[in-house]
Amino acid sequence: MTFDMPKWSRRSKGFRLNKDGRLGLILALPVVLIMGGLVFGPLISSLIDSFFRIDPMKAGTPFVGLKNYVTSVTDPAVVAAWATTGVYVVLTVAIETVGGLAAALLLNRITLGRRWLLAAVVLPWCLPPVVNAIIWAWIFNPSYGLLNGLVRAVGLAQENHVWFNDRATGLVLISVVHAWRMMPLTVIILLAALQSIPKELYEASRLDGATAVQRLRQITLPLIAPGLAIALSQSTVFAINLFDEAWILNGTATDTRSITIQTYIAGFQNLKLSLGMAMSLLVMVASLAVSLVYVLRVYRETRFE
Amino acid sequence: MNRRAFLMTATALPFSLGFASIAGAGGALALLLPPWGTLPKEMTDLYTKDTGGLLNIETLGWDEIHTKIATSMVAKKAPATGTELDWSWVGQFGAAGWYDDLTALVPPDVLKDMPTAAIFTYDGKLIGVPYNNDFRVMIYNKAHLDAAGAKVPVTMDELLTAARAVKAKGVAAYPIGLPLSASEGAATAWYLLTKAFGGDLFDKDFKPLFTTPDSAGFKAMQFEVDALKEGLIDPASTGLKDNEVQELFKAGKITFDLAGQAGILAVYTDATKSTVAADAHAALVPNVTGKSRSFGLPEAIGVPVSAENKDQIATYLAWMLKPEIMAANYKTLGVLPTRLSVLAALGKDGSLKDGEILAAQSAVAEPLFAQGTPGWYSEFSGAVQTALNAAAKGQIDVATAMKQIADAAAAAQQ
Repeated sequence: MTFDMPKWSRRSKGFRLNKDGRLGLILALPVVLIMGGLVFGPLISSLIDSFFRIDPMKAGTPFVGLKNYVTSVTDPAVVAAWATTGVYVVLTVAIETVGGLAAALLLNRITLGRRWLLAAVVLPWCLPPVVNAIIWAWIFNPSYGLLNGLVRAVGLAQENHVWFNDRATGLVLISVVHAWRMMPLTVIILLAALQSIPKELYEASRLDGATAVQRLRQITLPLIAPGLAIALSQSTVFAINLFDEAWILNGTATDTRSITIQTYIAGFQNLKLSLGMAMSLLVMVASLAVSLVYVLRVYRETRFE
Repeated sequence: MNRRAFLMTATALPFSLGFASIAGAGGALALLLPPWGTLPKEMTDLYTKDTGGLLNIETLGWDEIHTKIATSMVAKKAPATGTELDWSWVGQFGAAGWYDDLTALVPPDVLKDMPTAAIFTYDGKLIGVPYNNDFRVMIYNKAHLDAAGAKVPVTMDELLTAARAVKAKGVAAYPIGLPLSASEGAATAWYLLTKAFGGDLFDKDFKPLFTTPDSAGFKAMQFEVDALKEGLIDPASTGLKDNEVQELFKAGKITFDLAGQAGILAVYTDATKSTVAADAHAALVPNVTGKSRSFGLPEAIGVPVSAENKDQIATYLAWMLKPEIMAANYKTLGVLPTRLSVLAALGKDGSLKDGEILAAQSAVAEPLFAQGTPGWYSEFSGAVQTALNAAAKGQIDVATAMKQIADAAAAAQQ
């Protein structure tokens, strides 16, 4: 079967597309329109607006240069929110990657009923984030929550504990809830990568006397590296954008406030819209930068293979 | 029916239903209201019967309404013809010029009968017509006090004494109900306690009055933190909002809803909604000066400048302000009437539980900000919520919390 690549054909009046080219353009048009209208247009508009003071409570929209960006990296509340987000990124990415890899390795070994197990694993990812967080809020409830019941049942405590009164506990619990929802995506990505590894490699390594740990380090991890990079990228981006879990479980409390919550407060509660735009653009830059690091690292390691 | 006809009908049906619903919604007056302001079907039916019009009410959480209004109005598109307008949003939305002047839609005699309308006046314009006369009052469980041999507290010291007695007798593990989460309800309770300790938040120039240990605001927060440490307030309160404290009261788990909404008494005393209906009573907010104080947190209906179908809103407001409709609203929703004459009539005919207490508390309910709600209220309130929450969790002391709030207020005013 052959396929004609789209070509520009030069005629007397400018360029014209051949049939395949026109079809390609038509098929690409919805994506171009959607991305242009809903992503790139607002992005450019927000970028421009972030250099002005846009506050509905104040007259005019004067040019303020980089003031909103300076505030975004110097205001103590914003800096604290960035630090909290950093903790979320480290914790959730670690939980999702280690847990996701373990679950994917397990699922890869199981043949009987794998599809049902996979469906069960994917379930938390299908839940809306708010529903997910509300369920966990019931579990962590200090008065009637399941967690306190379990802790008391096994004799670890005599009285109910208010989990979110302690910052470190709060950060860990919010990270666990977020990881519980997002880990299935990591599992699916890594499982797909694992299933692409030829079985012969493992058989040969066994004949050579390689241990399970050696097979994991020498065969599995290098060969799933591209998948791991994608999984790490998505985990990091979602962790940087963590909102629902922190909002539902501990409200606007400063000890667990993420940068997206801080952005929401600046933009939609205090109506400092251009400051909110600057902060959200910095969040986007941070997400892109981290993703780029992962992708470039994997590209360097795999480009000659 | 052949296959082709079936497929055509199946395809056309959703479109026809969609058009029908759009056509139906087009004639109705769109309102955006919180759950406690959403009229039940019997009231919307009554509106249709009285006026011939239809209501299309969208219900959203209070916080979400603020966000929806802000995002819609920035996009120059009104979220509804009539929207919730809280007292605390007046400074922000008034400064933004997002709401119409409704002065012409309210007769002067009605306006005179509705003192809370002053709170919704911004720059000489009435930007909201009040429908909910919320002010704060103390609500207590009489059975708990009787069981503990305690009397209804009048002073803050008596409140502590009564709470300790209730706890000592094992009637309630945590007698005082106060939200301490990072939420508006927690901030509101602190404002009330500041007045209970005989002070105010700001002077006439908006300079903070709560930074020194002998100030009322400082004492109010110290009271909350100390009562929490003493076990008079549930430790879980650091995660509770005001509506969750109300649930605790309805379940008989707390003795005092210290910063109770005046209208909620109708719900507390409704046996179908509360387990303590016979024992719920109102009392004046305790104080340290011999004079009870409170403040008003009324809610209004406002009309965004970019709203459509504005001709219908005059009919709705006239209907809403009728004495019999306000009375019916109180009986069905617990929304306290904003017209003093209606409030008095409800008290006279016995419909208003503890009507004389509510009337007395209403008489001393002041605006939180004598100068009008400032545009920076949201930032100030956010700082109060987070500082109070951190102090309750023991992460900072009260002095630090006060400094944080004062700094945030100063920054917000710049």
